[in-house]
Amino acid sequence: MASDAAEAPFFQKRRLQGGVVVKDPPKFDLESYISNYDGFTRIDRLHHIGSHSPYLATDAYRTSIAEAKQGKNVKLYLALVEDYSQIAPNDPAALIDTAWAEEKTRKVQNEQDKLEHELKSYKNNLIKESIRMGNEDIGHFYYACGDWGNAHKAYLRMREHCTSTKHLADMTLRLVFVSIAQKSWMTVQSNLAKVDAAQLKGEEKTKLDPLLSALTGLAHMCLGHFREAATSFVNTSPAFLTAEPAAGIKWQREVLTGNDIAVYGGLCALASMDRTELQNQVLANNDFRNFLELEPHIRRAMNLFCSSKYSACLEVLEGYRNDYLLDVYLSKVVANIYGRIRTKSIVQYFIPFSCVTLEEMASKFQPTGEYASIEDELEAMINDRTLNARIDLVDRLLISPPTNPRYNVHSAALSMAQQYDHTLQLRLTRLNMLAAGFEIRPEKSGHSRDNAPSSFGEGLGAGLRGLGSKMGLS
Amino acid sequence: MAAELLNGLLAFQPDSPEVKDKREYDRQAREFIDSLHKYNPSAFLKGADTPQDPLSVLDPAVNSIAYAFTLRLRIHNAIEKNNTQTLKPGNALWNNLVRFLESFDPIQMRYAGSEYKKLVEYVEQIARGLDTPALALSPIRSAMLRLDPTTGCFTTAHLNFIRLCLESRSYAVALPILDNHIHSFPTVIQNSLRESTEYFVPCADPVISGEFIHTRSGHSDKVTLAEVQEYYVLGAMAYIGARQFKNAHQMLEHVLVIPTTGVANGLMLEAYKKWLLLGCLVNHTTQTPRTASTNAIKQIRSTAKAYDALVEAFSEFNNLPKLKAQVAAGREIWAEDGNTGLVEELVQHQSRSYVSQLSKTFSAIPVSKIAGSVGGNIDETTAFVETLIETGYVNGRLERSDKPDVGAILRFYLDPTQGPLAKSEKQQQLGLLEQTERTNRLAEQVKDADFRLSITKEYIEYLKRQNKKLAPGGGGDAMDVSWDHDDEDMMGDLR
Repeated sequence: MASDAAEAPFFQKRRLQGGVVVKDPPKFDLESYISNYDGFTRIDRLHHIGSHSPYLATDAYRTSIAEAKQGKNVKLYLALVEDYSQIAPNDPAALIDTAWAEEKTRKVQNEQDKLEHELKSYKNNLIKESIRMGNEDIGHFYYACGDWGNAHKAYLRMREHCTSTKHLADMTLRLVFVSIAQKSWMTVQSNLAKVDAAQLKGEEKTKLDPLLSALTGLAHMCLGHFREAATSFVNTSPAFLTAEPAAGIKWQREVLTGNDIAVYGGLCALASMDRTELQNQVLANNDFRNFLELEPHIRRAMNLFCSSKYSACLEVLEGYRNDYLLDVYLSKVVANIYGRIRTKSIVQYFIPFSCVTLEEMASKFQPTGEYASIEDELEAMINDRTLNARIDLVDRLLISPPTNPRYNVHSAALSMAQQYDHTLQLRLTRLNMLAAGFEIRPEKSGHSRDNAPSSFGEGLGAGLRGLGSKMGLS
Repeated sequence: MAAELLNGLLAFQPDSPEVKDKREYDRQAREFIDSLHKYNPSAFLKGADTPQDPLSVLDPAVNSIAYAFTLRLRIHNAIEKNNTQTLKPGNALWNNLVRFLESFDPIQMRYAGSEYKKLVEYVEQIARGLDTPALALSPIRSAMLRLDPTTGCFTTAHLNFIRLCLESRSYAVALPILDNHIHSFPTVIQNSLRESTEYFVPCADPVISGEFIHTRSGHSDKVTLAEVQEYYVLGAMAYIGARQFKNAHQMLEHVLVIPTTGVANGLMLEAYKKWLLLGCLVNHTTQTPRTASTNAIKQIRSTAKAYDALVEAFSEFNNLPKLKAQVAAGREIWAEDGNTGLVEELVQHQSRSYVSQLSKTFSAIPVSKIAGSVGGNIDETTAFVETLIETGYVNGRLERSDKPDVGAILRFYLDPTQGPLAKSEKQQQLGLLEQTERTNRLAEQVKDADFRLSITKEYIEYLKRQNKKLAPGGGGDAMDVSWDHDDEDMMGDLR
């Protein structure tokens, strides 16, 4: 079945567009994996898995289509069925249930009218609390329909009717929630900052803090700021695992689970921290240990990295690459993260050596296919200055260049002095010119001025033309 | 009459004991010049070609003022009467002129500025008249260097000299003058100040040329901004001709920092275009000097887009075809701006940079690998690399491998203290010491410029206003740019 699906027109099209298609089966079991999630992210994740893995496509799409039919998001349903019909056209689930869709659209429209009508009457009554709740209801409704833009607007309209800091925080969290669904991470970040700045006190604050740090980490990771992401994830309190719903959202089911935090945090840390930092800030971190216990292989990879067994570490990670490609948030950045870990491993590996053969490097770090050969990869690393080494293509060696600090300091001093000297000369010229009253002024009225520099310049320019080519350079 | 004149001419003896005092010297020299002006010009013409000829009696190195007067009038007369025969190189007057310019007493000539200027101009005129401008170069240069060893005060002679150099393509001759940067312009110094201050006795020594060359000393015509700009641009071109690209690049920056009210002029545009190209040849940066007017640069940039595109193509080291295409696309532009030669140089330089960049990545690489990127077969590339090593672009050596089908190998020296480009610590130290000296000299010049500023009318008026504001006791001290030797003696431990 898997091979059939891999050849389906849907995946062929994806490949043509340069999209990722994960050929091999992942390590996780779809059903138990997806049972950790609720709400929109459940369908979103199923959709992602279905569209990336031919192996799981059928199961994922069937489940997601069935789920979509329970909700109000007709557009999502149609899109899912459309995709699925290109994978398994003969499956009954691949046929659009037109009657249901029409019926649902009508119902949704009715509900929208009703909610808007209610809001209008609230507004007439001028009761702030009612207006706030009216807007919130509309926001929830749009969210359920998958209309993120309108949901965002509706939640935003609640602002002026919020009467307590808790309301304000709830509203902002709702905005965060919508923005995550939109995958617009900048908005997520700015809203998270607003929640952080809202002056919550005592219990409320302790309740929200783990959430905030986890979400900040997520936003940073998706924006490619791995270092910040790692710090946020690592400092997430284990209270996250048991936190009560905030703003009516069960974040650890509807956005990311503790397992996700372990994986995301671990990978980001591996990608951005050096060995001592990993040891002190991550492995020795009691809070993060709770998360790491959920994903022992990440912990193992980190341990291996810290004990300088880079190839074993990369091997462990490589084994899970497929899983991570099927994760809705990781899939876009996983290649980048893996690349960084690999580069860092190579750099760390090379530090104690003065000379390593290229064959040895190639066997320690199996080429990933991104580069044609290990020397190309090393060349790229040297060129972007992540690796301080030279390649000997003749004897096939990687050589650590000798350093001569005394010489370097001397030549740096000399060049700096020359630079300053020249700068000072320029300043002096300028100062002298100012003192002598030399200044280029815009020409006002033609050529009456005896000191009309620009027209003179042009005349001279004409006279000089061709001189350069005559000067024996050509 | 002739004898009387001769006595008059010999009246001023710079070595005599009574003029030891500088102020006395100053007074006598001025009086002497005034007395010379009183003679009838025709008196100087008598006695030519006789043993009593003032030109043979007077020694140009001792009686420089008198000699200059006589010589000027003689040449003037010869030109007036169309008697150019004696002026021709090899003949009497020309020989006298050259001998004078190469041996005059610089201190005396500080007083006879207009004679100096005239004589220098005569050399140029005669040489031009004979269609051999190159003949004038060496006398003019020695005259300039004699008068002012720093040649740092801009005069019209500078511009004329560099024009001559370019016309006769004698770039190397221009270098000693160009290497001395311009540290001042002839300034207006108020008479009252000049006469009452010890500082302004022109014969004082040591003295900076900016002090005795001023708007009234006669050494130079009134200098205009366009002339200064032209000097810098032409100077840069001479540097280019001598293949000293770094100096040329720095020279052009002087044009870019010219004060402006936000507009640029044609010479600035010329300079910018060449500056961009040279930037690629020198260090691959296109960062304009900080003091340059951003508005003016913006204007220039919008009219020099073709050059920007060229620079961009150049920066992709591995993409020779792109650069070549850009060069071909703009061929007319380069030709019109007179930059074809530089652009060609750029094309060649890209391959050179490519090879020298390799040293940052590789310690040894077979030439066959390079051949593909440089464009050429292996033998050509080997020869190319060889010339690069010889000309000092690459710190490496070529090796023949004993392995078959590897061919020649380019091996770079990893340690900067090895290989043909290596510098010993001694050399480095010497370089540092030289630089220290240059910097100290420059600091002196800055101090001097600062002094000149502090005696301008504007500054004094500003000070007056400040003093009024600050009430008694408060004073606006002049900006302190004094160079504290003790603090800056960082190189002390190297000595």
